[in-house]
Amino acid sequence: MPKYLLIYRDGLDTPQPSPEEIQQFLAMWEGWFKKFPDNIVDPGDGLLPTGRVLKQGGVVADGPYVEAKEMIGGFTVVSAASYEEAIEIAKECPIAMVGGQIEIREFAGFV
Amino acid sequence: MSSATQLVEHFFRHEYGRIVALLTSRMGTVNLQIIEDAVQTAMSRALANWPRVGIPDNPSAWLFRAASNAAIDALRHEALVSKKIAQCAESSEQSAFEQVDPLENSVGDETLRFLFLCCHPAIPAESRVALALKTVGGFSVAEVAAGLLTTSASIEKKITRAKEKLREHHADLMELGSGALDDRLESVQATVYLMFNEGYAATIGSSPIRADLCNEAIRLCRMLAAHSQCDTPSTAALLSLLLLHSARMGERTSSTGSIVLLADQNRTQWDWARVREAMDWMTRSADGDKLSRYHIEAAIAWEHSHAATFAETNWAKIVQLYNLLRKRFASPAVQLNLAIAASYAENVQRGLRMLMEISDGDRRVLRPWWDCAVAQLLARDHQKQAAISHWRDALALATNDAQKALIRRQLDAVPAHEDT
Repeated sequence: MPKYLLIYRDGLDTPQPSPEEIQQFLAMWEGWFKKFPDNIVDPGDGLLPTGRVLKQGGVVADGPYVEAKEMIGGFTVVSAASYEEAIEIAKECPIAMVGGQIEIREFAGFV
Repeated sequence: MSSATQLVEHFFRHEYGRIVALLTSRMGTVNLQIIEDAVQTAMSRALANWPRVGIPDNPSAWLFRAASNAAIDALRHEALVSKKIAQCAESSEQSAFEQVDPLENSVGDETLRFLFLCCHPAIPAESRVALALKTVGGFSVAEVAAGLLTTSASIEKKITRAKEKLREHHADLMELGSGALDDRLESVQATVYLMFNEGYAATIGSSPIRADLCNEAIRLCRMLAAHSQCDTPSTAALLSLLLLHSARMGERTSSTGSIVLLADQNRTQWDWARVREAMDWMTRSADGDKLSRYHIEAAIAWEHSHAATFAETNWAKIVQLYNLLRKRFASPAVQLNLAIAASYAENVQRGLRMLMEISDGDRRVLRPWWDCAVAQLLARDHQKQAAISHWRDALALATNDAQKALIRRQLDAVPAHEDT
């Protein structure tokens, strides 16, 4: 079955969630994982906002300097029969439920 | 590994206040902002990790450790590593692990100490509630604003100023020896009472946060009552009062969110287990030689609670209690309630006379409720036109939709009142 990478970008300028919202959000993630146990191959992780960029010639820079809204904030790997199915799964992801944007990319299958 | 649904309700909110209190007692009030940020960071980390790896066996300890580490990192990062802070960070680093279990028992203590700090005399009374809700209750600024019917900006300002005051006065949890504890208990009780009132006030928005405010007040009051030094008769009276009111809370708003008056509430739907619990606390409050306003108010609430129907309410007794309240703790609201009670205990004219005796200044404080009370009594006295005119005044003075809807319903019902 084809695999898809769900990429979460910090598109929303969301304020810090309150403790209550954190609890609700946690329950939403768990609900999502439980609903699609066969499809979620790797729950993935969140990514911290700072990092390093390795450039040509071994130059290391702080970064990545991209627009805040384009910063990758996290990812999940799902397996699905088609883009359509992957989209249906992504629609119920907490990120989508709270109005965030999810980029869906099919694995090329090189390895 | 357990699941998120197994976390008790409001787990994060309550842990927030607890961990803030614990870390503040170790790192000092000066670092309150850093501590709050650290707890927030720890919670965000929990959110990122727990769905994937499962909830740790002791989620409280996990959060405490993560928050404590984040706070220490932040202190170091800010190059605030004066000798004192370094020591403080060190000791809390060492104790973080061992302290986790023993602290289960001192939860109430730490949280209460922090509540007492929020009631520091340098902080204006109206800011105490906001600060307590934010730091002890773990409510977000937006939630506090929704609960207190104001804007986030205004709450933010109040909290910032309150924190500045704490810094200015070098307020410290350590200073709270038992002497200060006694002195400040009254102010803490008043804050809890105000917190409950804000949530309970008839100026209801539809926000569920309002009920949360009441429940938070009850939670804090229970902590007070469970503490050996705060467990005074007046604390028991306050808890009894809050429980009696909260027992009626569910029936106070209809399914469509509008206000249901006491006379129209379905009494069988009141939370009778709560009423019984309130009775136990009332019994415990009947001790000592000090009569607090909470004692009298609880007694009034009890009279309402144990009447089988609105008509069977013992109004003479309620008038007597309000008179006692007026003598000792006079306020415009007491005068208003006394007049209404007298209109049932004696007659409508008597109630109207008492309403008219309220001074212009006090009437302004009571708006729109003074106008509503006058209108209602006039309607019961078959003075239809005068009643309508007062309800229109009240409508113009109403500050939110729930009030307006209630007044409109009364206006529409005027002819029906004429017949009764």
